[in-house]
Amino acid sequence: METLGIYVPRLVTKRQGFTPGHRACSGCGEALAVKLVMKALGRNVIVVMSTGCMEVISTQLPYTAWEVPWIHTLFENSAIVASGIEAGMKALNRKGTPLPKAKVVAIGGDGATFDIGLGAISGAFERGHDFLYVCLDNEAYMNTGIQRSSATPFGASTTTQPAGKVSMGQSTWKKNMPAIAIAHDIPYVATACPSYPFDLMNKVKKAAEIEGPTYVHILSVCPTGWRIPTDMTIRLGRLAVETGVFPLYEVENGKYTLNYDPPRLRPVEDYLKPQGRFRHLTPKMVKKIQQRVSVEYASLKEKAASG
Amino acid sequence: MITISIDGQELKAKEGQTILEIARENGIYIPTLCYHENLSPYGACRLCCVEIFKGGRSRIVASCLYPVEEGLEVKTNSPHIINNRKMIMELLLARCSQNEVIKKLASEMGVEQSAFKAKYLENEDCILCGLCVRACEQIVERSAISLVNRGVNREVAPPFLEPSADCIGCGSCAYVCPTGAIKMEDKDGTRVVYARNWEKEFKLKKCKKCGNYWAPEEQLEYIREKLNLPPDFFDVCPNCRESVP
Repeated sequence: METLGIYVPRLVTKRQGFTPGHRACSGCGEALAVKLVMKALGRNVIVVMSTGCMEVISTQLPYTAWEVPWIHTLFENSAIVASGIEAGMKALNRKGTPLPKAKVVAIGGDGATFDIGLGAISGAFERGHDFLYVCLDNEAYMNTGIQRSSATPFGASTTTQPAGKVSMGQSTWKKNMPAIAIAHDIPYVATACPSYPFDLMNKVKKAAEIEGPTYVHILSVCPTGWRIPTDMTIRLGRLAVETGVFPLYEVENGKYTLNYDPPRLRPVEDYLKPQGRFRHLTPKMVKKIQQRVSVEYASLKEKAASG
Repeated sequence: MITISIDGQELKAKEGQTILEIARENGIYIPTLCYHENLSPYGACRLCCVEIFKGGRSRIVASCLYPVEEGLEVKTNSPHIINNRKMIMELLLARCSQNEVIKKLASEMGVEQSAFKAKYLENEDCILCGLCVRACEQIVERSAISLVNRGVNREVAPPFLEPSADCIGCGSCAYVCPTGAIKMEDKDGTRVVYARNWEKEFKLKKCKKCGNYWAPEEQLEYIREKLNLPPDFFDVCPNCRESVP
């Protein structure tokens, strides 16, 4: 991945479907991710959004931050509603009602994607609807008060699994959602992070152009839930990638490409240490996490090398 | 406020805006290749041509350059315009017969094959839209590349086709190029910015702390001199610069 310095960002469009003035916490990585996604998609989109942080902060009656057609769905059925819209548009076109070309985009948080809406997403992928699913992964139910989800990483302290004398925080490993998406044999799956804005925008653009179901998984740092200072958002996203905790890759028709492969990975400790939710971790647990990250990164690298 | 009509729609516009800007704001599709909202309009590709009606007569103008005026009537998809665009597309297709972007745009307009045969430039990618030249001049303020020669020999190039001393390897030209004629690659500590007829190689700066490559040395040197920063300011990458708590 090329590092595009301070000049290229001035060439990025200033138009966006997601306007400022919403009520996200300061330093929100998720709002940044949505902004970049909307910049990449342009105006010809229909957005379907699950309940979650982004829905709550952007559409408080009587205001809205969206300048595109936007539908709020329940936690579980954004993929279902998106499939319905896509099928409806197809039917209208077939019956001779001319419609402008528009891409259907479903956006959901990690709770909506990993836990509650997984069945619906799986179904929509399997039926092969032409839509883009964007998962904004902030690794817990941040909107309702930092409850654990199946996206919460091992060892993280949440309000439902707090670290203390009895428990050491989250006791299970993070579910590998991109791998589940890849297993559906859909044309395009990618992981991205707003700390690498050009990479994110390229991937979303690419996914939107492909016909068929596509999935983009975005790690969005949450200063409130991860217990970090609000100015650390971008750096923590970069650290997640540079330590190998959240590698950036894309899978096109089964072909893996590792987008960012530094000469050597940073130790996981660099990523864990600034975060309050990992404050209680013992060196033994950090070592355990490091081992797991190394193994997973190596297997991903192998897949990318074999194509 | 000015009122104009595009394809029968009454639209409000501010003085000084162009027809293309108003159309884009209101979701009316006009194809373009050489237009970029952050750069000055240039009118090179002519794909954005529209028909305007004034005083009982009509004429064809480039919408990216034409400022709106009170009572202007614009048509973006009259048969005249569609024919015109198809002809432009055929000419572009003759020049860039292998380019995916041009091929896709042409097939969207219903042009599958060009009636023309290019004698000299069959597999050209560059359409001479000048976006890269404008980006280098207006965004980076270096003017390392420009449009040289005339007629069939016209091309985008650095002075004397040699690696330009003014180029800092920022990649703006590669990013803004609509057809991918200018490319950029980072590999093993070097960055290459290249087109069909020229290329320049850059050494990437290695971070002293983490050892990752993060930006071309020439670009950092340029920024450092411009902002009067201490010589060791860019020795470490932005991630390592402030110590992670």
